[in-house]
Amino acid sequence: MTVGPRQISLEQWDREYARLRTAGMTEPVYGGPLGRHVADGDTRLLKLRYDNSPAALRLWNFLLSEEDRLRAARASGRKLVGAMKDLGTVPVMAYSLDNLVAFYPDGAWWIPCVMELNTGLLQIADSLGIDESFCPVRAMLGAFVTEAHFPLPDLLTCSVGATCDDFSAIAQRLNGLGHAILWWEIPHRRQAEPGEQAVTLPGGFEAPRSQVEFVKSELLRVGGALEELAGRPLGDGALAAGIAKANHARKLLDRLRYLAFTAPLCPMPALEMLIAEMFAVHFCSDQDETILVLADLLAEVERRVAAGVGHLSADAARIFWVNPVADLQAMNLLEDCGGRICGTEYLFAHALDPIPTAIPPMEALAQMALADPMVGSSLDRAARIVGDIRRFGAEAVIVSRIPGASHCALEGEIIGPIVREECGLPVLEVEVPSITDATQATLCTRLEALVETVKDRRER
Amino acid sequence: MMEPIRTIVYTCPYVPAEWIAAHGLQPRRLIPLPTEGASVAPRVEGLCPYACAFVNDAASEGAGGIVVTTLCDQMRRAYDLLVRGIDTPAFLLNVPKTWQTVAAQRLYQDELKRLGRFLVRLGGRTPTHDDLAKAMTDVGCAVHTIRSIREDSGVHGTPYIPIAVVGGPLMQRDLVLFDLIEESGGRVVLDATETGLRGQPRAFDRRRIAEDPLIELADAYFGIPDASRRPNSELYAWLRKELARTSAKGIVFHHYLWCDAWRAELARLKEWVGMPVLGIDSDGNGETNIARLRTRIRAFLEMLQ
Repeated sequence: MTVGPRQISLEQWDREYARLRTAGMTEPVYGGPLGRHVADGDTRLLKLRYDNSPAALRLWNFLLSEEDRLRAARASGRKLVGAMKDLGTVPVMAYSLDNLVAFYPDGAWWIPCVMELNTGLLQIADSLGIDESFCPVRAMLGAFVTEAHFPLPDLLTCSVGATCDDFSAIAQRLNGLGHAILWWEIPHRRQAEPGEQAVTLPGGFEAPRSQVEFVKSELLRVGGALEELAGRPLGDGALAAGIAKANHARKLLDRLRYLAFTAPLCPMPALEMLIAEMFAVHFCSDQDETILVLADLLAEVERRVAAGVGHLSADAARIFWVNPVADLQAMNLLEDCGGRICGTEYLFAHALDPIPTAIPPMEALAQMALADPMVGSSLDRAARIVGDIRRFGAEAVIVSRIPGASHCALEGEIIGPIVREECGLPVLEVEVPSITDATQATLCTRLEALVETVKDRRER
Repeated sequence: MMEPIRTIVYTCPYVPAEWIAAHGLQPRRLIPLPTEGASVAPRVEGLCPYACAFVNDAASEGAGGIVVTTLCDQMRRAYDLLVRGIDTPAFLLNVPKTWQTVAAQRLYQDELKRLGRFLVRLGGRTPTHDDLAKAMTDVGCAVHTIRSIREDSGVHGTPYIPIAVVGGPLMQRDLVLFDLIEESGGRVVLDATETGLRGQPRAFDRRRIAEDPLIELADAYFGIPDASRRPNSELYAWLRKELARTSAKGIVFHHYLWCDAWRAELARLKEWVGMPVLGIDSDGNGETNIARLRTRIRAFLEMLQ
């Protein structure tokens, strides 16, 4: 059904959509031409370039229809859980109860990008004293005030402790506005000391047993609130089934990432891969559908790899990208400049690792939560990045700064030197605001310089 | 000849000086003075000037050990630079943000015990209950506030406008804030900064010291109100009480650029407090913005007259 892989504009996609429909393409209920989302205000879509496969179309439609899905869930009597500052733990618990739907209010950080600052969310945050010195996730405050981008959840949870100050402060401001929040503590992950029992976490980091037990007790507290909301118990059986589903999604993503990052020709562009990875965190408000969307995307990628077709030239510079970008267009720009994503650490590498199944489910989730790269030292995170650089064969690293984010000021100072020491690779730090239009020329110059450096090193 | 007592430097109010002293080591709360030429942390956009100044000062202090806490994300991450950049032993104390659960309180107690093991590794002695009880009742061990060094200055006896200074920690250069308030006709009746009264633990209960001094120590320190606690309702409860006690008529709210925890509280405080609030942000270079600061404080105090 698909012609050769190409990156196409929104206008081209809508023409292609008509052709595919005529050719008999079937779609889920949230399907339709991508162009319709522009009418909803998602004007940034006009400036992006997309993979031309039906699988990518489904991915985008799934992403852009999340609000409708949440409202439908509420209308059907299901309860909504807003899991803030939670990269893949509470959603797994919530989806283990079939009358709960979890979503990720922090995802509102992309609204200023997707709607090109037209929503006034940042202005609302400004008016509440949360100005541009904070990360673009401050848009979430505006989204809560306007109630225009997601329905207000029935339960709001937020992890605190070893998290970024921006989000913690924004969540506190939200709390101060009258939104009740169940705060749960995630301590800074540390090494076990002599005499302490150590636990190897998924992904390879270590933590003392006492920290795992502490996080488990916190998750039990969250579990109690979920049970109360759902009106039914969250037993080990249900939790194990929820973990199995999450692992299914993670397994698909693992295969998808491996193929996308290592195939001789890039089988799926960076933008679609970024969206796919984000689904691991919160399942875009529908865990079952996430699995189908990812399976579809993986099938497309496998077909392309088997056929030896893909995007970009075979000599594209192989780039490892650290941190998600506030402007989705940055992913297109990298490819325009001759780069290709071969490895990522978008702040949630742990959400891509399988959750252990041979131990009690709550213990497994506690281990997962502690395995979050942001919960520990930047030195740990750098070590994981080095391991993944080697796994995927990246030739350079981009550390992408999120404007105002508390963790971004210093992590480049740690990750950069370690990558240079361990891998001998060039490292570039760039800042990507919600809309890069004004800085695109500079950004492109820097990306092109990195690509040139990579190619020059090959010749030497 | 006796070996000199090793000094342990820290800046966070959640590090109990008494606990360090009970180990036979010298606690020193470092109030940084930003120095030219970074040794560990560069001055980069996005980095809190206080965190930057603290790690640089601590690194050059020649201390026997450095204690950093997780009270804020920037300090937590600055610790990584410390351990990579210098040989001085450093310790990261996990201070829970939540405070309403027994588990969080126990975590803090356990962290103090872990700090104790670190101090022993540095040559300290394992304290007995009596050692700790003595340190807690020893006046010499009390935590000094940044203001205590200039308590006798001021304009006593003349009419003044009572002002509260609220915010995060202050550096040495920020003492100019108090001078400017006083030269403009005000007087600071409440120093509710981290380096002021707000950053001090409540008075210890002698009966509880006798029962278990470590539990009493942890309870007193863990009760320090701060913007970073979740929820931070105790900060507002404390302010309500102290503002009433001191009859402050206005608030000078100070925070550093890129200090999210405090910056985010400014608007909320203005909505909540029902008295004039002057927000002052600082890049940590006192000299560069003193003229601007003077003008703003004068205008604020004129408005309060």
